[in-house]
Amino acid sequence: MSGPLVDFVELTLVKAAPLIYAALAGVLCERAGILNIALEGQLTVGAFTGVAVAFLTGSPLLGLVAGIAAGALAGALLGIAATRFGVDQIVAGTGLNLLALGGCAFGLTVVFGQPGASSEVHSLGGRGEWILIALAFLAAIVLHFALYRTAWGLRVRACGENPKAVRSAGIDPRNVRLIATMIAGGLAGLGGVYLSLGELDLYSDGMTAGRGFIALAAVIFGRWTPFGAMGAAIGFGALAALQFTLQRSGIPSELMQALPYLAALAALTGIAGRARAPQSDGVPYTE
Amino acid sequence: MMQLGMRGCLKPAAILLISTLALGACSGGSSGSGSGGSPAKGGLRLAMVTDVGGLGDKSFNDSAYAGLKKAKADLGADIEVLESKSAADYQPNLTVLADGGYDDIFAIGFLMNKDLAQVAKNHPQGHFAIVDAVVDLPNVTSITFREQDASFLAGALAARVSKTKMIGFLGGLDIPLLRKFEAGFSAGAHQVDPSVKVEVKYVGSFEDVASGKELASVLLNDHVDVIYVAAGKSGLGAIGAIRDTPNVYAIGVDSDQDDLAKGKILTSVLKRVDVAVFHVAQDAKNKKKPSGHLELGLKDDGVGLTEFQYTRAIIGAKTIAEVGRLRQAIIAGKITPPQTREELQNYKPVKL
Repeated sequence: MSGPLVDFVELTLVKAAPLIYAALAGVLCERAGILNIALEGQLTVGAFTGVAVAFLTGSPLLGLVAGIAAGALAGALLGIAATRFGVDQIVAGTGLNLLALGGCAFGLTVVFGQPGASSEVHSLGGRGEWILIALAFLAAIVLHFALYRTAWGLRVRACGENPKAVRSAGIDPRNVRLIATMIAGGLAGLGGVYLSLGELDLYSDGMTAGRGFIALAAVIFGRWTPFGAMGAAIGFGALAALQFTLQRSGIPSELMQALPYLAALAALTGIAGRARAPQSDGVPYTE
Repeated sequence: MMQLGMRGCLKPAAILLISTLALGACSGGSSGSGSGGSPAKGGLRLAMVTDVGGLGDKSFNDSAYAGLKKAKADLGADIEVLESKSAADYQPNLTVLADGGYDDIFAIGFLMNKDLAQVAKNHPQGHFAIVDAVVDLPNVTSITFREQDASFLAGALAARVSKTKMIGFLGGLDIPLLRKFEAGFSAGAHQVDPSVKVEVKYVGSFEDVASGKELASVLLNDHVDVIYVAAGKSGLGAIGAIRDTPNVYAIGVDSDQDDLAKGKILTSVLKRVDVAVFHVAQDAKNKKKPSGHLELGLKDDGVGLTEFQYTRAIIGAKTIAEVGRLRQAIIAGKITPPQTREELQNYKPVKL
């Protein structure tokens, strides 16, 4: 089956998948009260580690697992900085983004002996790519269920709104937040693996190209809910696909590329309906 | 390892050390590459500042460095390289080298044009050269290339090889420099076959490999079967998509990319930054008054196509001969390929 419409839908899904993973990671973190602007770095770490391990072991599946683990580790760094040291989360997130980019550029020369881009590795292939796209939607459903239908989800959401209340129930909000950032990091890492081992078969410096920040916009536009963020990510994916097909038809492509951020601004300023962040989002919890 | 024991190298090594410390303090992003062990025979001292891609990009910066290394080997020059990790490094890097008293300092990349103009104004006694930009100052040599000429040949080749009569251009950023490639390519295609349709797309980035692949797929879905990929690292994704699809081909750019997917890359449009750098170095060596603006084209081997090493059978001898004739016509001035979209609109195929 093919045709312009099918091509468009396919391209939308391909564009949306990494955004969905990263946006879900953002939702989970922020609902727990940690502002995660390090999504871009976690995508990068996942993408690089996936390719590096696939190269060293010859197994893209091991690469996939390692990419998720590396993302979780990067998430843990943010979580520890935020919960154990009370570091400003924006500063920590920015630092982690820079660290990820520099660290992976360095890792590239160590593992592949060349800067810029890796050589080609065995990827997950076309079927792997579509499984990962399907998994992104499944992840949204699972996260929605976990956040709204489980005791753990209630604790996470309570940490984002009023961590003191969680503390009075005998649970340390810092631990809840740390776990949330690690799971989120793993999700973002999987988004990175999707890019480098699912869609492509290589890692290249800067290949995430701002997807982590578009995902942040999706979190806001999606009102900090899994389905909302997923919907926003699909919308942004469709915009990108539209930009690709309609290039040079009169609409400046720079404007199309800026639309996700404009949409997020519109959501924040109330132009596109009321958006409210979790009350304790980004506020360090101290005892 | 640098051999600091040799006298001739002490000074550059010291400059390097100081510059590394100074830059480390303010930008944290600059590294020097050693000037090796041979002392300057003719006293010629050359230096360059890379763009953010840095050494090892297998393209632009490496090509410039190759020219510098040739100057070291053939002219006995002392050479020095400072890498830029971000645009903020351009001015400090250029200033450090300008203070180091080099005969010529090369700024590799048009993004450096404002910073270079500033530094050149502040150091009227020094001499500078910039690649891909024109800086109109008495102590600056501007090096540009006639990319449209080699792209014209690529366009003619693509039009002849295409079965669907649909060919594509995939650029990195939609900027005047890339439009020279685009305009030349389209004109070349229409020179040999006015019925060929040229689809033009821009990734919007030189680094977004995934988008490069997706855009190539958009073109392939539109039945494009030859894509001219001028998109930096984004082009790696496009070449990947072409490699995985039967009966479609790519044309590479800047450096010889024919090896990236053997038999799938018809040819690569070369831009010989090394030739240009060596040319300027030679002028400096011979104490020849440096030219203000050096524009290299097919005649000077400043631009050109690779030798169809893996694709001769696919292209066919007839087309290869035709491309050779077009090359001669451009060198003879019978054809002047357009370098902007406006010029392209007014371009009429030339009867040969």
